[in-house]
Amino acid sequence: MPGKKASQMKIVMRGNRIITRKELFEKKEKFHREQAKLPFEEKIKILIRLQEIAKSAHKSTSGGKLGVWKIPSKSRSK
Amino acid sequence: MKKTIAVLNQLRKKGLIKNYAIGGGIATIFYVEPFFTYDLDVFIIPSGTVKKQNLILLSPIYNYLQAKGYKWKGEHILIEGVPVQFIPADEFEKEAVARAKAVEYEGIKTRVLAPEYLVAVLLRAGRKKDLEKIEKLLEQTKIDRRKLGAILRKYGLSKKFDLL
Repeated sequence: MPGKKASQMKIVMRGNRIITRKELFEKKEKFHREQAKLPFEEKIKILIRLQEIAKSAHKSTSGGKLGVWKIPSKSRSK
Repeated sequence: MKKTIAVLNQLRKKGLIKNYAIGGGIATIFYVEPFFTYDLDVFIIPSGTVKKQNLILLSPIYNYLQAKGYKWKGEHILIEGVPVQFIPADEFEKEAVARAKAVEYEGIKTRVLAPEYLVAVLLRAGRKKDLEKIEKLLEQTKIDRRKLGAILRKYGLSKKFDLL
């Protein structure tokens, strides 16, 4: 468990914005909760993108095949 | 996935299944942030006519789908580009299917397991990847704890849940 000192550690972000480590993790949590609220259709688009990333990573490391849903382009992420 | 859902609805309309609900990773994604998964798990209540000597015959469903040109890929059947796995519901899952949430995907109606049942179904399966999904559900969506507690008690899953 990180101590109080660690959670108050300051991090310099883009544009010299300073936040604490605690705030950084709070923001991450908030991001995950917001992603959870996306419409189902948006989530499926992201899923297909993830399948494409996994496929290309898998191909370059092991040469194996991983599937990607072959659904119409309207349902895919741009 | 819209066309895949339309095919699932057709199966129900044609009486090949009594009802269905999406479960597994895709049902979890409905409630939480997107994560990698591949197959579409569909819990089905087969029609009475396919039950014979306590055997659940899925062949009428598969014959119908194959006649429509859908092909097998491993243990999945590829319906409109999506690998679908049909899971005949047991008593517990039948209740979960009956109480599934009616939702729309690109304007087409479908059904997704309610989050409380989804947690219980995943808990019963109990693999590491199922427990990870439960963790996401508990963190990222509203779960009716009273409803969940009642389901867990009814199906003897309370202790397992407490150990999470």
